[in-house]
Amino acid sequence: MANKSIKAEFLKGLWEENPVFRQLLGLCPTLAVTGTVITGIAMALATTFVLIFSSLVVASIKKLIPSQVRIATYIVIIASFVTIADQFLKAFFYPISEALGPYVPLIVVNCIILGRQEAFSSRNSVGRSLIDALGMSTGFILALFALSTIREILGAGTFLGYQVMGPWFKPWLIMILPAGAFITLGILLGTALVIESKTKRS
Amino acid sequence: MTLSARMIVVLTAIGLISGGFLAGVAQLTRERIALNIQAEIEEAIEEVVDDAEVNQVILEEDDLIIYRELDDAGQLAGYAVQATGVGFQDKITLIFGLDETVTRITGLSIIEQKETPGLGAKITEWDAFLQFWEDRDATGLLTLRKPAVRTPEELLPKEINTITAATISSKKVLEIVNLSLERVRELINEGTITREEQDGE
Repeated sequence: MANKSIKAEFLKGLWEENPVFRQLLGLCPTLAVTGTVITGIAMALATTFVLIFSSLVVASIKKLIPSQVRIATYIVIIASFVTIADQFLKAFFYPISEALGPYVPLIVVNCIILGRQEAFSSRNSVGRSLIDALGMSTGFILALFALSTIREILGAGTFLGYQVMGPWFKPWLIMILPAGAFITLGILLGTALVIESKTKRS
Repeated sequence: MTLSARMIVVLTAIGLISGGFLAGVAQLTRERIALNIQAEIEEAIEEVVDDAEVNQVILEEDDLIIYRELDDAGQLAGYAVQATGVGFQDKITLIFGLDETVTRITGLSIIEQKETPGLGAKITEWDAFLQFWEDRDATGLLTLRKPAVRTPEELLPKEINTITAATISSKKVLEIVNLSLERVRELINEGTITREEQDGE
């Protein structure tokens, strides 16, 4: 792993090891807050902040942490950054914080973050951990963006709040309900698999 | 250092550093967060009570806050009642306005709700729900009009329109308001709420 190029380290998060489409991690926020693009992006950015800073801290103090208490230590570090993100949203982006509701505090248990600490930051340098965190976050942002775009356009006829469908369009209510999240995710996962198998064969 | 000592030292140190850091962040954001919540409530009050300029809290209970509203001349403009109750999915917090005689609901605004998107969440929409709360008779129990009507004019003074396909959410809001109104009437009898006499009707 250590001899992977920086570029490959970043790019793997986008497709090859995309946290949502390939690893099926972080599905709770993926399903819950992608009813509109703005909440989807806000959630992805909050997760990005937590992932990057947790990875930096874990990578820099990894030698000090006894392996028996490493998970507890990671969780304390992650929870601290999540609380900061939550307070920040409440103070400066109050309407978005209201819309995201309990899902910001729930970033603590997002498996992408704990998973990256355990699988990557705890055994790689600070620099590589940062690149890995950036790649994974970008992959997560792309996934949430794709999901929320489809759901908002079909479920409300809008994109980022702007009307994009004509007056003939009757919004598919199901798309902004939980069932729509599962349907969209299923279709996207299937599409990702088809693309993957096609590219492998060729 | 033995292993267990090291574990204790590391975890304690991380805990202390995180705690200290978070205390700092909380200190920095606390004021702004309080202001945001305050602003949201004030905005809601302005929507439901005409000419409300000054808010005085006259009663604060677990799920009920009553504000006396004064206009810019210092005259009583009405009352705003902030109440929290159980909705279909989660708690609903709302504010409704009462006129200075405490006989009429002047409007309703939903502050917090987690009802079903697209269905129950319509309780926050003017066209679907809130417009039917203007100018309601607050002297007795309010009831739900079902099947729903199209315009507020078709409702009786003590009737509230139902949201089609979200009867439970509509009913929950109604229950919260009815319960608060009951408490308001008690407070009038106790003298906590003073009201202007209705003019010669």
